[in-house]
Amino acid sequence: MRRILIVSIFYIVCFNGTAQNDSLVNRLEEVVIQADKKLKKHSVGYKVITLSDSVILRNTESFTSLLRFNSPLYLREYGSGGTSSASFRGTSASNTAVIWNGININSINNGQTGFNSLTVSLFDAIDVRSGGGSLEYGSGAVGGTIHLSDHLQFTNTKQIKNQLKASLGSFETYRGLYKFKFSNSKLAINSGVSYNQSENDYKFLNTDFKNTNGAYENFGLNASVAYSLTKSSKLKFYSANYLGERFFSGELPNPLSANDKYQDFSHRNLLVYTLEKPRLSHEAKFAFLTQEYRYFEDRTLSTFNFGKSKRYLVNYNVSYSFPELKASITSYSEYESAFGKTDQITERNRKQFSQSLIYNQNINSLVSFDAKLRKDFNSDYDVPFTYALGIKVKPFRNLFFRANGSKNFRVPTYNDLFWPGQGNLDLIPETALQGEFGIGYKNNQFLIDIGVFYINAKDKIVWTPGGDPDKPGVWVPINLSEVNNKGMEVSLSFNRTFNKHIVKLNMNYSYTVATNKATDNQLIFVPKHLLNGNLGYTHKRFSFFYQQLINGKVYTTESNSNDFVIPHYFVANTGLDYKLLNLQNKQLTIGLKVNNIFNKYYEVQPRRPMPNRNLNFNINYKF
Amino acid sequence: MKINKLISKAFILSALFLASCSDDDSPQLPKGDYENGILISGEGSGAGTGSISFISNDLTTTENLIYKKVNTNELGVYLQSITFDNDRAFIVVDNTNSVTVVDRYTFEDKATITTGLNKPRYMETVDNKGYVTNWGSTADETDDFIAIVDLNTYAVDGTIAVGNGPERIIESNGKLYVSHKGGFGTNNIISVIDLSDNSVETITVGYKPDEIFVNTKGELVVLCGGNESWTGNETIASIVNINMSTNTEVSALTFADGEHPSLMVLDNGMLYYELGGKVYSIDEDATALSSTSIVESQGYLYGMEVKDDKIYLLDADFTDLSELNIYDLSTKNKITTKAIALGASKIYFN
Repeated sequence: MRRILIVSIFYIVCFNGTAQNDSLVNRLEEVVIQADKKLKKHSVGYKVITLSDSVILRNTESFTSLLRFNSPLYLREYGSGGTSSASFRGTSASNTAVIWNGININSINNGQTGFNSLTVSLFDAIDVRSGGGSLEYGSGAVGGTIHLSDHLQFTNTKQIKNQLKASLGSFETYRGLYKFKFSNSKLAINSGVSYNQSENDYKFLNTDFKNTNGAYENFGLNASVAYSLTKSSKLKFYSANYLGERFFSGELPNPLSANDKYQDFSHRNLLVYTLEKPRLSHEAKFAFLTQEYRYFEDRTLSTFNFGKSKRYLVNYNVSYSFPELKASITSYSEYESAFGKTDQITERNRKQFSQSLIYNQNINSLVSFDAKLRKDFNSDYDVPFTYALGIKVKPFRNLFFRANGSKNFRVPTYNDLFWPGQGNLDLIPETALQGEFGIGYKNNQFLIDIGVFYINAKDKIVWTPGGDPDKPGVWVPINLSEVNNKGMEVSLSFNRTFNKHIVKLNMNYSYTVATNKATDNQLIFVPKHLLNGNLGYTHKRFSFFYQQLINGKVYTTESNSNDFVIPHYFVANTGLDYKLLNLQNKQLTIGLKVNNIFNKYYEVQPRRPMPNRNLNFNINYKF
Repeated sequence: MKINKLISKAFILSALFLASCSDDDSPQLPKGDYENGILISGEGSGAGTGSISFISNDLTTTENLIYKKVNTNELGVYLQSITFDNDRAFIVVDNTNSVTVVDRYTFEDKATITTGLNKPRYMETVDNKGYVTNWGSTADETDDFIAIVDLNTYAVDGTIAVGNGPERIIESNGKLYVSHKGGFGTNNIISVIDLSDNSVETITVGYKPDEIFVNTKGELVVLCGGNESWTGNETIASIVNINMSTNTEVSALTFADGEHPSLMVLDNGMLYYELGGKVYSIDEDATALSSTSIVESQGYLYGMEVKDDKIYLLDADFTDLSELNIYDLSTKNKITTKAIALGASKIYFN
């Protein structure tokens, strides 16, 4: 059954005239769900890594650990479960966009997404796309984009699928997940609830302390529905809701001093209407998104700081295809009105209209390219044209070359501009020019992709205590004159089945040299070397996996002083699953996972030890 | 470091041996590697731990992160201040609610006080008791206190409730004087605590009182920085003199609108104060502020000391090592520059 699905998807990808076969559709753990068709289509020349359901289920503890062990991103996490941000290729967290079903969900207050405030397991597929070419999702994603997708698919016959996953782990960690899918030829429903809770009071290795203020609890509820109105038109509705409460870990030498607490709530709603004709297709989107956080400096008090935002978004895109040229042209028009406030900033409203054009063509199945142009009309800023070009050349059966380049802009966030006493109204948008060249080889079992990149960023916005001579010592955002990032990303995957043994290997390695042109030193919190690998082995009812992360040394001072660094670390996780029940439509698996198997002391942020060795027992029932 | 220690140990042993031989002329024993020098404390930041740097009195050697090197662990952020008694140094780190006690000459760890403190800032020692100013919960303006530490057991064994944001603390004639800069907010009082019964009186001064000294006339001199314009309630800055027997203001020198000095030193009858990165000096009896600066900092002037005709200025950097610049006060020439602690803020002569 599974093989049939893989084969049929493979055929769809290969024989669908205009849909480009993306450079790097890998991670064939089970079925790679082509969740975001447009993402695939408009990623010619870019690297996209798809994290399938089974990969996601392996790292359900947090979005942070999922990305840390399975993608080329660098995650900064303030203690396990704390504030967490992700960056690509030495760019900043606000240069990483998170896209939920085609909508950018970065906070308008700080321009980022907290990676411990997203429920991992509720999404059907997560794609990680490196490079700045995602112009249709905004121009600020210099580093890359992370796509969270719900997969709604009609089926000829009525199908009902249930999945129940429960786990129990060290530090009083309990997780539960229930997903339900219904589909027939007219209707597709996807829904899920998840609940996670942990005392998270792990021992700080080599000390007498425990992570006494690290508990967390969160609840997620996602629901999406697609209804086929006519043969060519569909109506879809997506809703993702999250409620979370976390305590923030303390720092050595006295973690007992921490007693702060953080709550966040988000509600995301999206209505999509699509009309697809042979040549012309339309899509209209309406979204309403709200986000709120409350930060309690003292958990025992009821006073808190807060930030709130709401966004209204209308998006219309129309695509016209030229089958004879294997080409298509797409127009994206988007109007957004965002309201943001914090207890420090009175409500501001930013409006933006953007227009993008994308031209996509496949010449003789040998060369394909994707050209994008975008113009934003922003109520706060003049944002010039941005553009991107991606090309893929496939001269031989298994070999491909890819190249892309883009110009990106990132406008300052509300906090950057308006934070009292610190915000800087003189900030100008960041500009980045970048290019990437990659070479790859792909056959049924093996895939390698090697890419070199170069990013030149001007007027990069950074917060620094020395930024304003009139306010010395006060952290203010400033434009840094010039930053150059260059490096290499290598991705590798290998799948092989012999007899009844299945071996899978995935690896990501990135080498990043990011320098402030004024000093020629490596930027702080950018590791030069980052490597992760996943090895999986399945035999009959048994499967085993091993994950390894090697995170290089990170400088924390601009002079790259060796007195102030976060040392490199090696962390490994492993797990064993056994299928108790293995029927065509009923599978029951029990599994044991050991995180940090070698019980290594490591810090991702200074003075904040990460968890020691810990166990997790899980049951996964699909029926 | 290790060789240094070995040598000093060998020296101590031989000195003891020699001492036992001749009773009259016992040589001065070195008390540790960090005697006879300058200690600089750095607050630290997200970029690195709070730390202490050592510079020898002859200014030839500089050693950073001395606590970490001796004890292999870190002090944490933000290191506010150090207080000394005979042979101990008390290192106050506010974000970690800790006071770390070390031998002031060897920097070997003796104890870390981690309970009973909440955002500790400064400490004063009187009769083997330590008095530590604490902001308490930053979300509560009514829970600020002075923690009383028993310096034999290193345990907090009492508290004195005070107004919002207690900062500097000094002892004079059996009384503690506490300036209330106001923590994350702002305040305009000096608390006077009578140590005989721990009763508290307050004196109203200008907003953001910070550094306090007792001058040669026995008056309390207070630098009030005033509220900055971004607070939305800008107030004037002043240097206030207070009669310590009547607790009343006897004189005040006021700064112009918009001027907010943040550092002051009293040395040998002279007041040195900072304004906009420049240092001015006036006689402690002066009736007007100075209009000509004596030295100007090249960076963010965050700490200042005067000793033996030299002025020590800290140009702080919170993302990297800071700079110590030493000037000759008579010639105003720079003597030397040293790269020291991250977020350097205080200078102590050991």
